[in-house]
Amino acid sequence: MADRIRYLDEVMAEIDAEVRRRRASGDLPAGLERELDELFLEFSPVGLQGRARLRETLSLVDGSAYVDIAVPTASNKAVGSYIKRAVRKGLGWYMNFIVAQIVKFAWSVSRMFHVVVDHIEDLEAAVDAHRSPDLPAALQPSASDGASWWAPAAAEALAGVRERVVVADCGDASLVESLLAAGVDAYGVDPSDLALEPALDRGVDVRAEGVLDHLDVVADEMLGGIVLTGSVQWLRPNERERLLDLVSTRLAVDGTLVLHSASPGAWAASAPAVVRDLAPGHPLHPETWAHLLGGRGFAVASTIAGGEDRRLAHVGDADADADAGTVNAVIDAINDLLLGPTEYLVVATRER
Amino acid sequence: MKLAFVTPRYGPEVIGGAETAARMLAERLCLRPGWEVEVLTSCALDHLTWENTEPAGTSVVNGVTVRRFPTASPRTLDYFALDGQLRVAPEVATLSETRTWVALNGPMCPGLVDAVASTDADVIACYPYLFATTVDAIAVSEVPVVLHPAAHDEPALYFSAFRRSFRDVDGFVYHTRAERDLMEDVYRIGARPQVVLGLGVNDPAGVGRPGGDVLGLGDRPYLCYLGRVDEHKGCGMLADYFAEYKERNPSDLALAFVGPVSAKAPEHPDIVVTGTVSEADKWDILADARVMVTPSAYESFSLVVLEAWTLGVPVLVNGACAATMEHCRRSGGGLWFDSYRSFEATVGRLAGDAGLRAALGEAGRRYTEHNYLWPSIIDRYTTFLEGVVARGRRLALRPARLDLQSGGTAYVREGVAGGG
Repeated sequence: MADRIRYLDEVMAEIDAEVRRRRASGDLPAGLERELDELFLEFSPVGLQGRARLRETLSLVDGSAYVDIAVPTASNKAVGSYIKRAVRKGLGWYMNFIVAQIVKFAWSVSRMFHVVVDHIEDLEAAVDAHRSPDLPAALQPSASDGASWWAPAAAEALAGVRERVVVADCGDASLVESLLAAGVDAYGVDPSDLALEPALDRGVDVRAEGVLDHLDVVADEMLGGIVLTGSVQWLRPNERERLLDLVSTRLAVDGTLVLHSASPGAWAASAPAVVRDLAPGHPLHPETWAHLLGGRGFAVASTIAGGEDRRLAHVGDADADADAGTVNAVIDAINDLLLGPTEYLVVATRER
Repeated sequence: MKLAFVTPRYGPEVIGGAETAARMLAERLCLRPGWEVEVLTSCALDHLTWENTEPAGTSVVNGVTVRRFPTASPRTLDYFALDGQLRVAPEVATLSETRTWVALNGPMCPGLVDAVASTDADVIACYPYLFATTVDAIAVSEVPVVLHPAAHDEPALYFSAFRRSFRDVDGFVYHTRAERDLMEDVYRIGARPQVVLGLGVNDPAGVGRPGGDVLGLGDRPYLCYLGRVDEHKGCGMLADYFAEYKERNPSDLALAFVGPVSAKAPEHPDIVVTGTVSEADKWDILADARVMVTPSAYESFSLVVLEAWTLGVPVLVNGACAATMEHCRRSGGGLWFDSYRSFEATVGRLAGDAGLRAALGEAGRRYTEHNYLWPSIIDRYTTFLEGVVARGRRLALRPARLDLQSGGTAYVREGVAGGG
């Protein structure tokens, strides 16, 4: 599927380039082109997308702001044409007076739209200036498939929740399905169409969208549980704030939040250098999440460490060998500092 | 499992996207072992008058049990007056005003509402959102209700009467993701059970006659449009764009409009207008088309796009139409235009590049086979309905059925869960 979409994008990019080239050549009279484009807009929804559309629509407003008072006087009958000319001449002073005011109003409105569009474009430029570079697709961190060590703990935390539970970045939906099997009314969202396709074919309620976009269209207090994983680890700071705002309103009071993340140390040790340098955000410590959630009315019920166990094993018998005891103490320090758990799970309850 | 469809009108005579979709689903679902289907509908076939033209009572239509109930009154001029008033600013219309609008839009079928209230079905499926039968059925049903909204971005979608009514819906069935996005944006119902189902495509029914012969074009290559030839479907724009294209790019390429003509037919030496044709002729014309064009910006699903893809024919769609754009983007089976310039460039490219046409057509065929064959559609639908039934009826504070005299805003029941 990805190949087909890539091919389509390439073809449309070539066609867009061809359109720009022809437009620049001026081979179509401007008046005719405007007339043809007006025809398209006449049968299109009002909210056409894109900045280019904004400018095009504005040019149509400009083009329509002039009202012609020279009423056509042609007629199939000679007397008809005579009468029309007489009426036009007789009413000319009146029409001129009215039309002058209409045109003045139309130009004022048109000028106002120009100011608004200029302002929007300034704002867009300002926002663009603060955008961090996107990671190359090949380096995007992959979301958890839900079949990992923390799935049973998540299911246990959500057992008995009566309202719906959303699993963000649900991937192949295995966690959604294990929650459903446990009697939890779960559904999933994930930005990847490809990842979701098998689950969709199985009839699981999963939607191809990001967690922020999804929570945006959920009414307040409609969810009994939210499971966050995957992209929650590398959200930009402003996106993280927005996520916390959404979570703390969409989740019902007494609802359960389950948050899974890599630990910052493990992420720094294992992520490629480019990802570390360009990632819009990075995993937080569980204590930081507890702090952020506490400020929004959550109480952290438990924090569970897990993931790959990279800790060094103790050597010898510390009781019998003092040197072994010393070495093991050093090993413990190294384990704590460098080789601690690679992932963790935070379970929190919304209390207010 | 027993499913009762509730539609304002029903039957093969009814030309309407939503009603046809309901019939297609009902006719296939009733063949599924373990499933029983009935349709509760009015005696009317004309949505402009709601005149009772069909006999009341039970009949069987293409294997589906249909129970018809008389409408209480025909549509009146009051509807048009109120509609004109409310559509200017639909978001600020009051609940009472919009419930009156729904009642005047009709059809008001007291017998149908009683039948829903006392149904022995396990689940009710209402289709589409816009009518009084749907709002009333949602209000009185004791069993779970799923809604096929068939929604467009139109003023009525913003009426508070529907916002109120949708709170009691137990599941939503959408034609496309674009429709789901629209409904979720307007009503913030993202957490509710839903499925994007679409419709299935019938097997091609051509008889192998060359499409050029059917059209009288001989060996000339042609683009084709399938459906009602109507200004609102963008047919006038397509004809004008094609005429300009031919003026600037002389060739033997022709354009065929295939379908009933409900507006002035386009006139041009390179344009053929067939009027209504048989299914066999339709499929034969489509099979040999270079490209199938859908210029409409207001499609909720567009079955003809999928029909073209079953034959490996690429499509060209209106770039402002969310539903057909979604099909093209997800499948890679078609291109789009959003101005005369892009129309000229895409038609030129498609007409002259057989490899591109083949690649797009193949991508569209795969997409259709994967998503829109009837057996898989019915599988997904029954799985969804079973889930809805298992969850049970979700009741908010519910309004009584519509009452034209009072505006019908009395709330009658406290339910187990509220909120939208």
